[in-house]
Amino acid sequence: MAQSISVSVEAPIENQIMSIDYDGTEVYANPLTQSEYLTRNAARINFMKSSETTEESKEEEQAVAAAAFQASSSPFENILNKLKEAYTEVTVLHDVLAVSKEKHYLVLDPVPMHEQTEIKPMAVVYARKKALGMAGNILISGAERLKRLDNGPDFQIELLRLRQNWRLKKVSDNIIGDLSFRTAGSKFMHPGNFEVSKSDEVDIKGPNPSTLQVTIPSELQGVAYIKVVTQKDQEDLCSANVTMIDHKGKLQVGEISSWQKKLEFAQNVLFCKELFNQLAREAVQLQATIPHVVIGNQIRATLLPGIQLIISLCHSTNYQEFQEETKKKADDLHDHVLEHSLHQLLREIHYKNTHYPIPHSGHAVGIAKKRLLAGPHSYDRHELWEMTRCQNQTLLEQIIGQAQHIFMRKRTQYVLDSIARDVKDPQITSHWNALNSPTLSWVKINITTHGYDTITRTALVVHVKERSLMAICRDGRVMHMSYEPQELRDLILQQICQHQITGLQNLSRCMAWQLLSNSNHLGIGDVEPLGNANAILIASPLGDRVIAVQVRCDPQIVVKVYVSHSPREFYTSGPLVQGKLWENLGSEFKDVNFDKMEGRNFLNKMEFLMAALTKIKE
Amino acid sequence: MGVTILVPYPLDNKKTGPEVVEELSKRLLAMQATQTGHFLVDGDVFESSFNKTKIHVMHNSEYPASVFSILDNGQKQIPLITDLIFDLLMLKVNPIYASRKQLKIESKGPRFELGDFLVKLGSVTMSQSQTFKGLLIEVDYRPCLIPIICWELIREFLQGFLGQYSPTTIPVYFTNSVPNPHHPVPYQKSNDTYQPIDTVQQYLEHFNNYRKQTIALMMGPNK
Repeated sequence: MAQSISVSVEAPIENQIMSIDYDGTEVYANPLTQSEYLTRNAARINFMKSSETTEESKEEEQAVAAAAFQASSSPFENILNKLKEAYTEVTVLHDVLAVSKEKHYLVLDPVPMHEQTEIKPMAVVYARKKALGMAGNILISGAERLKRLDNGPDFQIELLRLRQNWRLKKVSDNIIGDLSFRTAGSKFMHPGNFEVSKSDEVDIKGPNPSTLQVTIPSELQGVAYIKVVTQKDQEDLCSANVTMIDHKGKLQVGEISSWQKKLEFAQNVLFCKELFNQLAREAVQLQATIPHVVIGNQIRATLLPGIQLIISLCHSTNYQEFQEETKKKADDLHDHVLEHSLHQLLREIHYKNTHYPIPHSGHAVGIAKKRLLAGPHSYDRHELWEMTRCQNQTLLEQIIGQAQHIFMRKRTQYVLDSIARDVKDPQITSHWNALNSPTLSWVKINITTHGYDTITRTALVVHVKERSLMAICRDGRVMHMSYEPQELRDLILQQICQHQITGLQNLSRCMAWQLLSNSNHLGIGDVEPLGNANAILIASPLGDRVIAVQVRCDPQIVVKVYVSHSPREFYTSGPLVQGKLWENLGSEFKDVNFDKMEGRNFLNKMEFLMAALTKIKE
Repeated sequence: MGVTILVPYPLDNKKTGPEVVEELSKRLLAMQATQTGHFLVDGDVFESSFNKTKIHVMHNSEYPASVFSILDNGQKQIPLITDLIFDLLMLKVNPIYASRKQLKIESKGPRFELGDFLVKLGSVTMSQSQTFKGLLIEVDYRPCLIPIICWELIREFLQGFLGQYSPTTIPVYFTNSVPNPHHPVPYQKSNDTYQPIDTVQQYLEHFNNYRKQTIALMMGPNK
């Protein structure tokens, strides 16, 4: 059998909590008065429902009313009850007092009175002091703020200074500035806005106290730069960073916080983003033989086989990191030319976007001045074609061209320097033209022999272009070479050999020797890996001595000299060759140990040799 | 740029114009020249209705951005080089300068490149009926600017492929004395720097000769 347990639900005795103060004290709601209680209960009654009560409930109501009538039948019953209760209480009290008198079962202790706290005068003093101190602080801080606003940096003055350097406009209650290069001709879509606001909390002791605050959109915050790296088989050859800020200068923490610096940094970020955007767009659009690759913030383009140009956008929001990086960069090989070029190219595009040539007639808007002059100056087809080709070159094509040229120039320099170092005998001097265009430079190469400068001098000019070389030799021959450095090396070596032979030829003329034969490409003898040997045959004034010289066209410039005597020294007439006259035929050529000879260089040695072999007519 | 010499090729009655062009092209190709498209030089005549002043408007495909116009009042020729919109201007002044359609003349044909030389074989046709008038051979030596210096070279080159028909003296256009505005002594074109307008003026001379021949022919039967 289930036993039913009656559960009594009672309202808590405590009063309801109305609110809790900040110090944790609870504020209780006052207990309801009787009238309030009544109204609350009355509110709960559904009068609509009561009006629809059934007959049963009516009967019940009548029964309750009858009971109430019976209860109130004796008018003094209420008083009687109360007197009874009072009597009972008095009796109980009497019993308790009787028991407690025995002091056996119950002991009465005096109820302690609420102790009157003793007020210490010092505590009061402290408490008041503290309270006064706090109040004073509030007043002082308020006063200071007012003072700062009077003496410190004025918001209006600063706004004026900002207005002088940056474009501002008022949009309802806000001041909006413009960082973009749109007025300079940029067509980049980024709005580049910043907001100017007034800040109340100013650090007066800081390096740049300012009440003016600029808010920059999050994507423009931080520092950005464009890194250009020329890479050959994973090895960096040169790199360049493009920013508007001189990143070698040290950044002070205070400088970063000042609004001027902040805006400059943000504008730089915008510039870099635009530049990269433009380059990336072109890289995708260009139809190169080896397609350019754009991955994330990096563009890869192939300059020459095995050599890559990598342009990447670096953007960091941390100033400290940036500073550390720039410190590292300072040691790197750093190409200012590429940096400057990229910078300049975008500026040029901006400039062209705003500076149209003066319109001559309705049809001529946006046409370059050169093109306008093409008609009246009667440019021919070739010139016009060159002009359109130059104009339609994209930014990426131009920078690739420039990088290729820089690379070609370095290669040519290296080849010339290494030959000048390795080849001792004729001196090789190269003069680089100081004034050159970003994609064309030229070098003049002089080959001279020390002490014989007036006798012979070989000069040639090499034009260094984007992907090719063009050499103009002294005899007017024009040679086109590719980007392979070996081709230039071969040409220079060949020119050296030719120089030696020509020098000897001129020298022999001065010494009254006769030139018998001269060949720049001797087809006989050992097969040369590259080029042919040069040879010359000279005879003494009397014709009794013949010298043959062969100059081999290899990196060591090997010289071989042979001498033949006439008449023969040991002539024996045999049965086959009879008669004394045959002894005048030249004897066999004998090798001269040229390395052991006196003399500073080839021509000097040859001069000595010729002098020794010359017989003066008696 | 360079020096251009224009020589008419005399036609005998044995061969027609296209045949001669074909033969010369073969000769040039045998000399290892490369054909680089075609060329066109045309000349229009506009005549004033008041006085008999003429404006010759000429185009040369070698100078595609330019219109050459020469004002001819009988005693003097004034050249003017302009943009392509000059053609539109001439249409505007149509009431004053009327176009003489039947005098429109053009020379077109293949264009060859051979080293520093540029050779154009032009067959001259006149008016809309495209009647064949003759052959004009243009030789351009590009590295030089002074005609007298390179004339001998060009003459030799012309001999190479024209044979007996090649000219022996420099065209008269270059030997005519021109008054010098800066100096009392007149000078010759052959000593001066060559200009693109000189090519056009040479063409104009030859075109005018063809026109005169045509007019003479037309007048002949009437008489």
